[in-house]
Amino acid sequence: MATQAMSRRGRRQRGGEGGMKSLGRAVRYISRYRRTTSIAVIALLISIGAQLMVPQLNQNILDTIVYGTAAQRISALPVAQQADALAQAGLTADQLSRYANSAEQILYWSIFLILVFAVMRGTFAFTQTFMAQKLSQDVAFEFRNELFAKIQRLSFSYHDRNRTGQLMVRATDDVEKLQVFLGQGLLLALQAVILLTGALVLMLLTNLRLTLLMLPILPIALVLFMVFGSVSQPLFVKVQQKLSTLNSILQENLAGIKVVKAFAREGEEAARFNTANVDLMQQQITVARVFSFLFPVIFLIANIGQAAVLYFGGRQILAGTLTIGEWQKFSLYLIFVFFPIGQLGFIISQMSQASASAHRIFEILDASNDVTDRPDAVTLPSVQGNVVFDDVSFRYFNSGENVLTDISFAAAPGETVALLGSTGSGKTTIINLIPRFYDVSDGAVRIDGHDVRDVTIESLRRQIGIVLQETNLFTGTIRENIAFGRPDASDDEVIDAAKAAAAHDFIMSFPDGYATPVGERGTTLSGGQKQRIAIARALLLDPHILILDDSTSSVDVTTEVAIQAALDRLMEGRTSFVIAQRISTVLNADQILVLDKGRVVARGKHAELMEESPIYADIYRSQLVEDAVATTAA
Amino acid sequence: MIGGPRGLLEQEALKPKSVSATLRRFGRYFAPYWLVLIVTLVLMIGNAWVQVITPELLGQAVDCYFTPGVANLAVEAAPAAADAATSAQPTAAQTNCWFDTLPSNAPTADLLRGLGRLSLVLVGLYIFGSISGGLMFFMMSWSGQKVLTALRGDLFDHLQRLSLGFYSKHESGDLMSRITNDSNIIQQAISFALIQVVSGSLLIVWIAWVMLRTNFLYGLLSLAVVPLMALTTVWFSGQARKAFRSARREIGNVNAELEEGISGVREVQAFSREDANIESFRQSNAANRDANIRAVTYTSALAPTLEALGFVAVAIVAGVGGILMLRGQSLGGTALSVGLIVTYLAFVQRFNQPIQQISVLWTNIQSAIAGAERIFELLDEEPEIEERPGAKLMPPITGRVVFTDVTAEYNPDEQVLRGIDLVAEPGQTVAIVGPTGAGKTTLVNLIPRFYDVTGGSVTIDGVDVRDVTLHSLRSQIGLVLQDSFLFNDTVMNNIRFGRPDASDDEVIAAAKLAKAHDFIERLPEGYETTLGERGGGLSQGQRQLLSIARAALANPNLLILDEATSSVDTRTERQIQSALDDLLAGRTSFVIAHRLSTIRNADQVLVLKAGQIIERGTHEELLALEGAYHALYMDQFRAQEAVKA
Repeated sequence: MATQAMSRRGRRQRGGEGGMKSLGRAVRYISRYRRTTSIAVIALLISIGAQLMVPQLNQNILDTIVYGTAAQRISALPVAQQADALAQAGLTADQLSRYANSAEQILYWSIFLILVFAVMRGTFAFTQTFMAQKLSQDVAFEFRNELFAKIQRLSFSYHDRNRTGQLMVRATDDVEKLQVFLGQGLLLALQAVILLTGALVLMLLTNLRLTLLMLPILPIALVLFMVFGSVSQPLFVKVQQKLSTLNSILQENLAGIKVVKAFAREGEEAARFNTANVDLMQQQITVARVFSFLFPVIFLIANIGQAAVLYFGGRQILAGTLTIGEWQKFSLYLIFVFFPIGQLGFIISQMSQASASAHRIFEILDASNDVTDRPDAVTLPSVQGNVVFDDVSFRYFNSGENVLTDISFAAAPGETVALLGSTGSGKTTIINLIPRFYDVSDGAVRIDGHDVRDVTIESLRRQIGIVLQETNLFTGTIRENIAFGRPDASDDEVIDAAKAAAAHDFIMSFPDGYATPVGERGTTLSGGQKQRIAIARALLLDPHILILDDSTSSVDVTTEVAIQAALDRLMEGRTSFVIAQRISTVLNADQILVLDKGRVVARGKHAELMEESPIYADIYRSQLVEDAVATTAA
Repeated sequence: MIGGPRGLLEQEALKPKSVSATLRRFGRYFAPYWLVLIVTLVLMIGNAWVQVITPELLGQAVDCYFTPGVANLAVEAAPAAADAATSAQPTAAQTNCWFDTLPSNAPTADLLRGLGRLSLVLVGLYIFGSISGGLMFFMMSWSGQKVLTALRGDLFDHLQRLSLGFYSKHESGDLMSRITNDSNIIQQAISFALIQVVSGSLLIVWIAWVMLRTNFLYGLLSLAVVPLMALTTVWFSGQARKAFRSARREIGNVNAELEEGISGVREVQAFSREDANIESFRQSNAANRDANIRAVTYTSALAPTLEALGFVAVAIVAGVGGILMLRGQSLGGTALSVGLIVTYLAFVQRFNQPIQQISVLWTNIQSAIAGAERIFELLDEEPEIEERPGAKLMPPITGRVVFTDVTAEYNPDEQVLRGIDLVAEPGQTVAIVGPTGAGKTTLVNLIPRFYDVTGGSVTIDGVDVRDVTLHSLRSQIGLVLQDSFLFNDTVMNNIRFGRPDASDDEVIAAAKLAKAHDFIERLPEGYETTLGERGGGLSQGQRQLLSIARAALANPNLLILDEATSSVDTRTERQIQSALDDLLAGRTSFVIAHRLSTIRNADQVLVLKAGQIIERGTHEELLALEGAYHALYMDQFRAQEAVKA
């Protein structure tokens, strides 16, 4: 929790610095969709135009009604008095005759025009909104694609530093925030500015004095909206934090219910939940308090503006410098002014969020890939299986400490090299250097004489089979998972590989056989089944070099036997590097490398090492105690 | 503000089954806050009143002050004729001016004074409206949050009381997402939707009533577009919801591929599948984009259509009113006035928003009721294991455990254990072996009474476990599970979980006994290091050591241990082994055994198959029997021999 809050704080700071620049860069993505953008902008201009026309027509109608009735009355007067009355009413003779004769016509026209503008407004507002939404989807599409492609290609060292969850958040949440801002926020901002300016200009044209009176309210409103935006955002973040605290307690108690019950800790857990529960409630109530204060205040300001227009406009009406129609028009325009101010306030507060998101997204897109093809990389010819480590040292980027130091060994084609050592001794790092998941810091790894850095990554990895302890399967059928490395393999090839991996029988026991879908990350399969599919997957590549972790995870005895037999078949005739957990592997190995703190501390065959290396003898005894006893008992 | 009702339309709409029962039960949670609710309702009415009355006041401003002024202009010039006109044609049809019904020839100063007063009243009303609106929102949220908190608390307490049988039937992940989802929807409904829908409906009905009452025909004409608005909204949101449903599926695919691509990135690169994966992602990404674009077609159309309909309403009000006035005709017996037109114009502008909100939020409320229903269903789930009314405290355990003809079953036609008899003397270690599904876990689960026997009895020191309180029983039994569940808390607190009142020194002593002290010391902040979710950041072996330390701290005389089968590295393995040996010493222990050494050291080995004990004895005795145990044992052994050959 504490680290989360810290990283959040850290993020925001970073967002502030490089954020705006990143946002500018993100905005340029819009230019990939010029057509959509221009249609949206044109539609926006037309729909705002139509929107601004309606109050004008409203004015025409009202004035026609007022003056039309007045004109009718004046016309009813004796001709001698008409001139005086006209002067008083501020009408000319022309207007009089127009209002008297064609008032109804003006009215019909105005109504007709309102309907026309209604249709226009509807059509173009729809076009604008739709295009904006489309643009936002398009932009999200681009960002997700680029992110995914980048993430897929970033080397292991990057993935060591970044957790799946973090990357997920960037590809989902951050993209979403940016998408809303780029696709809709920017356009809305444009719309707000145009509407605001248009309405203000029209207000000025309608009545200068009344407009000047309204002007001081506008900045106040803008500031309030911005305050509102910036106050509400962190409040929501806090609610989210409290909610996730509460949820993680709930989650723990659901998943760990047995532990809670076993230690009879229900009371304490309930108290913990209650604290978090009340905490969340109080935060929610704080939010409610802020909202129930700020919202009404903002509306009140807008409404007081209207009341002011009523009074000061009314004074002018009575003085004859403003018509009732103009007054109505003016108060409608005032709404058109307040509304975009509100939008701008929100968009501005969104901007900082969007720029932080943009910054985080570009952080991934700009991450440098440690392992890439050299410009002059050649295709690795068909591999024989000669693997040489030549004085190899390895340390992680920006770490001074060696993970591997001066490792040298050679494996001839078909040999099995067993790697032994405790956690952190460097076993995994050694095998990771062969398919060039990392690059050596010093020295070189050579396959058949080619430095692995001189050949294309794809040609290198296609010729190396890998079976890891933690097996990741992918959504799709069992067949697709076995053919993962060679999607073009024939059915027979897939079945052969499965048979060799002792997987065929259990696959056929499923109703759908090879077409059985593997749930997300292989959830429908047991650990042993997943492992055998991973073996089949590696077998199908028919690689000359094999890398594997021979430990079997929790499986019953029979399955373990089957898996071990499959692994042994897999290693036959291939240069194999094995992180050894089994005695049989060690006994059969052509070379055993005993690692300690990144160095080879002993090497040789089993018999030699038992004699010469106390460390080896120690590991051997401790690890294989069961076998030893079993042998005695038999 | 941005995105409008989209977020809400994206939610899945759920249909409740028994609305009234659920609402009644939900209502009970609100009962303590009845006074607050009544005040909220009063405020809501007040707020709506302001919204209804202000357009009328604008109309009054026109009729009582503006039009008399305009009429004046003509009147001053021709008093006689104007008088005649006024009497023949009552300009101020709506003569119920609040302050003064001024004669049409009133001096401008009087009109201005009246207008000033009216404006002040308007400001006052606006202030009142804001205060009542704010208070109403706050009080509703306040009581809503109180109710939600109570509901969450009840739910949590209940979930804790439910027995393991319930949890074996429900995935914790499913439960979790159900609960968070449902409470989220309810939260939204309570803090937002409910008040909007109620006050919006109130406003619409009130305005409609006022419009119809003032002038029935004119009101009817002005309201003509309202049903159209409602229909449009319902139709568009229905379509949008349908479209979003498929969009949600697509985004689900995108996220699944994303997750897989990231978490499986090492395999992807190992098998050179980058390009294929990127292409496949691109396709689901595009499908998601297209589904979303289809969906936003409807949401994009909603607001503009309503706005256009609003303009039509304006045209009707202004047009009909204007023409009738010009012709000097009345409508439905009442003459129209400019003020009335202005009032009605303001009214029709207030319809748009509530209609849109109600139709969008209505589904939200429906879903919330369905959510509440499901939460109540969970609350109605009966715990299978409950303390007897007169349950006593379990006396301090010595450690003699006796199973007498025990049967256990999850459902009537599926017996998990049959005829189990066993006696474990204090300090003895009982190892239980057998294939998966033989009933090993069920057997040990009967001791801390996670499940109840369906026949026979389990006694500890002669006391039936069903006769004592759960707390006194379980707090004296130590448990080390295969999946060492750790909490998102410090190492210290995770170990202390075994005995909350233990001092730091005791915790450290337990960690030393469990051989966990050394690696804990090497963690960045030692004992104060916070562990990630489910103990993330530690290796499996380290997690096991912590869970052993936890059990050691509890210092129970009776211990249940489910040995982990997964492989850990050699050194850790040895540490676990020796930690377990220390832990088992002198305690009655039941071990689901996977390690040969454990089995060899056990005082009794029980071989379980299909719910029955088929062999029992010590390791040597069982080997000599050459029965099932021997076969099981030799299987492993032979396999290793075969490999060596």
